Amino acid sequence: MYLKHISLTNFRNFTRLDLDFPRRVIVLVGSNAQGKTSLLEAVYYMAAFTSFQTHSDRQLVNFLAAREARKQVVVGRLVIDYQRAKSDHRLEARLIMEPSGVNGMRLRKEVLVDEVKRPLHDSIGKFNAVIFVPQMSQILEGSPEERRRYLNLTISQTNPAYVRTLSEYNQALSQRNALLKALNDRRSGASASNGGNAQQLGVWDEALARLGAKIILWRIQAVQEIERLAARIHHELTRGKEVLRLSYQPAYDPLPKPQGQLGLEMDTPVDRSGLELEDIREGFIESLTRLRKEEIARGMTTIGPHRDELRFLANSVDLGHYGSRGQIRTALLAVKMAEVHWMKEHTGEWPLILLDEVMAELDLERRADLIKYLGESEQVLFTTTDLNLFPAEFAAKAVIWDLKDGNVSRRKAKG
Amino acid sequence: MLLPEPIQKLINAFERLPGIGPKSASRLAFFLLRAEASFSDDLAEALTDLKNKVSFCEECFNITMAGRKLCEVCESPERDDDVICIVEEALDVLALERTGGYFGKYHVLHGVLSPIEGIGPEDIKIGPLVERVKKGEIKEIIMATNPSMEGDTTALYIQQLLEPYNLRITRLARGLPVGGDLEYADQNTLLRALSGRQEMD
Repeated sequence: MYLKHISLTNFRNFTRLDLDFPRRVIVLVGSNAQGKTSLLEAVYYMAAFTSFQTHSDRQLVNFLAAREARKQVVVGRLVIDYQRAKSDHRLEARLIMEPSGVNGMRLRKEVLVDEVKRPLHDSIGKFNAVIFVPQMSQILEGSPEERRRYLNLTISQTNPAYVRTLSEYNQALSQRNALLKALNDRRSGASASNGGNAQQLGVWDEALARLGAKIILWRIQAVQEIERLAARIHHELTRGKEVLRLSYQPAYDPLPKPQGQLGLEMDTPVDRSGLELEDIREGFIESLTRLRKEEIARGMTTIGPHRDELRFLANSVDLGHYGSRGQIRTALLAVKMAEVHWMKEHTGEWPLILLDEVMAELDLERRADLIKYLGESEQVLFTTTDLNLFPAEFAAKAVIWDLKDGNVSRRKAKG
Repeated sequence: MLLPEPIQKLINAFERLPGIGPKSASRLAFFLLRAEASFSDDLAEALTDLKNKVSFCEECFNITMAGRKLCEVCESPERDDDVICIVEEALDVLALERTGGYFGKYHVLHGVLSPIEGIGPEDIKIGPLVERVKKGEIKEIIMATNPSMEGDTTALYIQQLLEPYNLRITRLARGLPVGGDLEYADQNTLLRALSGRQEMD
């Protein structure tokens, strides 16, 4: 799959941008604060319909335009034309800010697939992209939430049902938490009746486990597959010195723990591949029932996919805690390249690869490795402040764009 | 300029209605101000009658005329006493009645379980349903709550509650709409239609 054209209106610092994309490697050169990363963000937005940078869509709308939103309707618009399986498609996202109430505003999101309005959960995964930005080391070093978000964004691109199941799971979770809190309040005598009894908890357990089991199973499969691909790439990147492992640690672990053992050592590989959906669901309900007293006391759901963890280990050392800058970069690069191949395996199409300032972070050998791995794919978009970071013969073959103040110009080939 | 109190009061009242914002509320109020007196009288009468002349059936909690103990359906000797269809709202009864294909009775819950909104089993008509079942005449319960998470969860709760009474408990089928196009059905619906397929007869 490859991108043919992008058109942005009121997105970040672009008031208006129209750009044709060639089907090859593109290097976007520009100084700081010219809009390089924003362009990558825009392309990635069309794959995930959420930004990798911010959780708030509001910040995506052009700052100057958004100031007017208290008075009149302001629309941030992203349109892409792309080719997938030899046929042309179009995706459009509208971020509509409109005045609401006294001096307030609200944001509405619309998505159009081939010019027809579609619900968000049906639109994710139409266009696939893998993005790599330096601050993504947060996936390894940051909070568990970053890693769950990473898993969610990745899996949703290849599995449309995942998006819907996840949102239903979160709905069931909110309802169950509200009930646990009500039961807790009643126990402590805070209020007499606010709509909860313990028997009711059983049906919310069922809903939570039914949806949660699916998510756990999909995560097990995805982590296993990505680990297999990433480990191979990582092995090459480290010249055989390190072994990368992805350790998925579900908050409700469907794997029975051996008798008398409290937990497994993290560096022991765990094989969860034999688990069936029904076993996970039943086990999940049993655990919820067992924990019921504690959960009422805490007034919240303590196990389930919303508290899952994923750790990255090199030679059994947890990179999130003990990894050096270089180790983390290499591991992340391996995982991202694995993601590219994983998407290809699942969708039959190469995703568009977006790389923000990666060359500056890599030594000469790794740069050559990266370029080697990108060799097979269809379309790659790099950003850089300095073209000299790229090997000369590679730069000669690529299309070079200069980006200045939100305007893109194509650099003429020398000679 | 401050609006005269009666107008402001009416606007405030309109604003509390679902789907009505401040603009619509003032438009409605000023429309009534200009309209003939008979129009407002009719409206006022209709509003007072709504509360005075409508009440809920003691048996199934469907809406009925004030002064009557039972609704039309519960009173009718032609309806089956041993089948009860459970719905969320009185409007759902209307929808089912329009089909002309159901001959049992109803039970209107007036809501679904939703801990977020503080609605528990005591806040909807689940208790009276159990009382009805306890009398022992009922053989089948049809769950016709909406196919939403809250609707499904409420149905499951009722099912567990009624387990000891040895009833046949069924649920409305989910799947393709009649006259619908297969290719336009969303995945979830299609998946449910597939798993709920029936023998051809």
